[in-house]
Amino acid sequence: MSDITLVLESVRRGERQATEELFPLVYEELRRLAAMRMAKEVAGHTLQPTALVHEAWMQLVGDGHRTWENRAHFFGAAADAMRRILIDNARRKAALKRGGGQQFRVGLEALELTAATPDEHVLLIDEALNWLATEDPEKARIVSLKFFGGLTNDEVAETMGIGLRTVVRQWVYAKVKLFRWISLQNR
Amino acid sequence: MNPESQMEEALCLAALSLPVPLRAQFLDQTCAGDARLRAAVAEVLLAHADAEKFFERGGAAVNVPELDAQAAGLLKEAESEIQLDDLTDEQLGSRVGRYQLLQKIGEGGCGVVYLAEQDKPVRRQVALKVIKLGMDTKSVIARFEAERQALALMDHPNIARVFDAGATEAGRPFFVMELVRGPRITQYCDEHNLDTVQRLKLFIQVCRAIQHAHQKGIIHRDIKPSNILVTLQDGVPVPKVIDFGIAKATEGRLTDHGSFTVVDQFVGTPAYMSPEQADISGMDVDTRSDIYSLGVLLYELLTGKTPFDTKMLVESGLDEMRRTLREKEPQLPSTMITSLRQTELTITAGQRHAEPPKLVSQLKGDLDWIVMKALDKDRNHRYETANGLALDIQRYLDCEPVVARPPSRPYRFKKLVRRNKVVFAAGGVVALALLIGLGLSTWFFFREREARLREREARERETVLLAKAEDRSKITQAVMLVGQGKFEEAAEILDEVKYFPASPTLDSVSALRSVGEWLALQERWPQAAERYFALVKIDQLGNNIQIYLDYLACGVVLAANGDAKAYGEFLNLAVANFSRSQNDTVFYACLLRPLNPAQIQALKPMAATLERRFPTLPKNIVTVWNQLPLCLWHYRCGDYGAAIEWSQREVPFKGRFPPGVADWYLIRAMSLYRLGQLDEACSELAQGRQLVEAKLQGSLDRGRPDVGNWDDWIFASILLKEATALVDCKSAEPATGG
Repeated sequence: MSDITLVLESVRRGERQATEELFPLVYEELRRLAAMRMAKEVAGHTLQPTALVHEAWMQLVGDGHRTWENRAHFFGAAADAMRRILIDNARRKAALKRGGGQQFRVGLEALELTAATPDEHVLLIDEALNWLATEDPEKARIVSLKFFGGLTNDEVAETMGIGLRTVVRQWVYAKVKLFRWISLQNR
Repeated sequence: MNPESQMEEALCLAALSLPVPLRAQFLDQTCAGDARLRAAVAEVLLAHADAEKFFERGGAAVNVPELDAQAAGLLKEAESEIQLDDLTDEQLGSRVGRYQLLQKIGEGGCGVVYLAEQDKPVRRQVALKVIKLGMDTKSVIARFEAERQALALMDHPNIARVFDAGATEAGRPFFVMELVRGPRITQYCDEHNLDTVQRLKLFIQVCRAIQHAHQKGIIHRDIKPSNILVTLQDGVPVPKVIDFGIAKATEGRLTDHGSFTVVDQFVGTPAYMSPEQADISGMDVDTRSDIYSLGVLLYELLTGKTPFDTKMLVESGLDEMRRTLREKEPQLPSTMITSLRQTELTITAGQRHAEPPKLVSQLKGDLDWIVMKALDKDRNHRYETANGLALDIQRYLDCEPVVARPPSRPYRFKKLVRRNKVVFAAGGVVALALLIGLGLSTWFFFREREARLREREARERETVLLAKAEDRSKITQAVMLVGQGKFEEAAEILDEVKYFPASPTLDSVSALRSVGEWLALQERWPQAAERYFALVKIDQLGNNIQIYLDYLACGVVLAANGDAKAYGEFLNLAVANFSRSQNDTVFYACLLRPLNPAQIQALKPMAATLERRFPTLPKNIVTVWNQLPLCLWHYRCGDYGAAIEWSQREVPFKGRFPPGVADWYLIRAMSLYRLGQLDEACSELAQGRQLVEAKLQGSLDRGRPDVGNWDDWIFASILLKEATALVDCKSAEPATGG
């Protein structure tokens, strides 16, 4: 039995704060899994959040423990952890591609949106998401869970305790908002 | 968010759900007089397609399964425009998995089909279908995988095999199938002016193919002309049914509440959809839906029209379409033909190599009834199997009475006359009839009886097959219900299931487990026992922890239910499957009740293995899990001294697993009692009792693996019951012996 089950259990009983407690545990496990994945595969690899998050859930919590409250907390933390991993990874790859150790900076004037690599897209989306979090936190959360956490609409609805249709609509609209913000920033 | 941008958002989403050409008009109406709002909304709409592309590209880096079915439906218009561009030419010559795309050979509502070449393990040309709509690739593939085993079992000359499924780089699902070149069946028949009899013969082959699939438990769900192609093999036309398993894998996820309107926009082909498929719940689909679609196909082959016009269905809107399919009776095929306009009628008849009046008279009667029986709104009145439909057509071709109409005397006589034309044509030879009349009617009588017997046998065989197919669909339903947390309903449905498939999907196994557990938590032992027993019977795919745990839960539930016979069967099953492997959990599950000598004999090899292995165990909680079974084993064998001895072994983590501690006290209590140490026995019993009762005071919860799952505690409570009955702490005289 791992620590995480105990944390989840106490979170469920309302004894502790969810995300802060969970984040380091989930982050470590996800990073370990991601590293294994990356080591095994050749260049051009992608990290699949859905697979990783679910695998982490199985590793850390196991199948025997399926209360929804726990899953919701876990997914919330996992999406944050996954976002950090993906961003780190994208930064590293973008920096490599641009020849040299210098860090890729989002919002470079020279950056053409259409020419940006998928990794740069991810970095741009991440940055825009920070903006959206102040503007419309619910939408930002949905994007984070779906885009970085790889959750399905059902899981997002479950995690956030909102309706499925709301998730679908917010997700569509959030993408437009983010895109417009990014276009404005990089004009 | 301020009210202005809320308004903006609402309008945008509403506009996005409309087809592109209607959007401008929509905005004109809703934003009348508010130019600023209109401009703002229009700007967002304009950015929408780019935003989707942008996220898709970003998604390629993180490989998020792009856009699932709901969003796809919402954005259907814009979406299909984008994806079509993406898909057509750029991928030609490129590779998808281990397939090289050579040429685009078709495009349909839900996908683009390519001619592709596979080089490993064999070099061959295949058809590769890329699903166009933005679906949740992962779940499409998962659903295909679930059917894969069953699909692999299909082997029929009239069925195109499905080889493989996967995801393209852009994240869209694709399927790889046997390459079938040829026109769709309706087109082939019309181009070659096949007459009605030739058409029926081709159609019978299609029925046989569908029957074969139904026997393997596979429902096609999307039978329509474009899925039945005709190829020439040695100059003989052979119909081939394609796309098996694909409709199921790609249909919208109907568990998602509130998304039906979106999902069902692209599930199925309206004109070929059975009333139950069109139904709002849409879930309750079985083999008889395919029979309905076959009926529509037959209708179209015979008349050139579908029972309901596709265009009309679509244009009438969803609710009206459902109502039509559910309630409106289609015209008889012969009536449909007569209602055609003159020119159309001439063409239709010409394509069937017949004069219009002849065509009408051919259809009138038997063929009308056969088609209408297949198309019955109530699936209980349709042909029960595809074979039944084929047989009836064969009867028509052989001029025998068809079952499609309730047989009346004149009708049967008419058939008899036609079948024995020679005899009856010699109508004048009444004398002959008189002479041999008796003999002839006796002969008829026997012949008919024999035919009936054969038919009944066939029907009985078909009933079993049908029941199996129905059970499969019930299991699917149960899986959905479990997914929605509706355990009571799932339990009810599973109660009706007679045949569990020998190689079930993972989903159905886990549904069975969830329902069993749910029943157990409510202490509904008889029902839980049935579920768990069914589970371990099919749960023999390998050795993994889940299976051991299933055995433990099953043993516990059967013992709690108090059915000694069923428990004995369980024990035999466990011995049969685990006598060679070293599994402490399964072994422990076999020791819940006193054993008879035969059972002791059967379990001995397992016990010996575990005992031999004990000293080599790693120093962790596992040792506790081996100590307890061996204690109980010696007690069950009547070797009480050894039981006590085993209980005194020092093991790490002793006391860390509460139900195990309770077991430990209780086994000791019983052993000490048998050894005549009443005081000690009573003290151990009291300690064990205290632990169990403290835990099981309230209602049962699922528990946790580290401090004991529900079944660990029920295990302890069963031992407590046994120990309480045995150890008589009030009497001073301990019993001796066994």
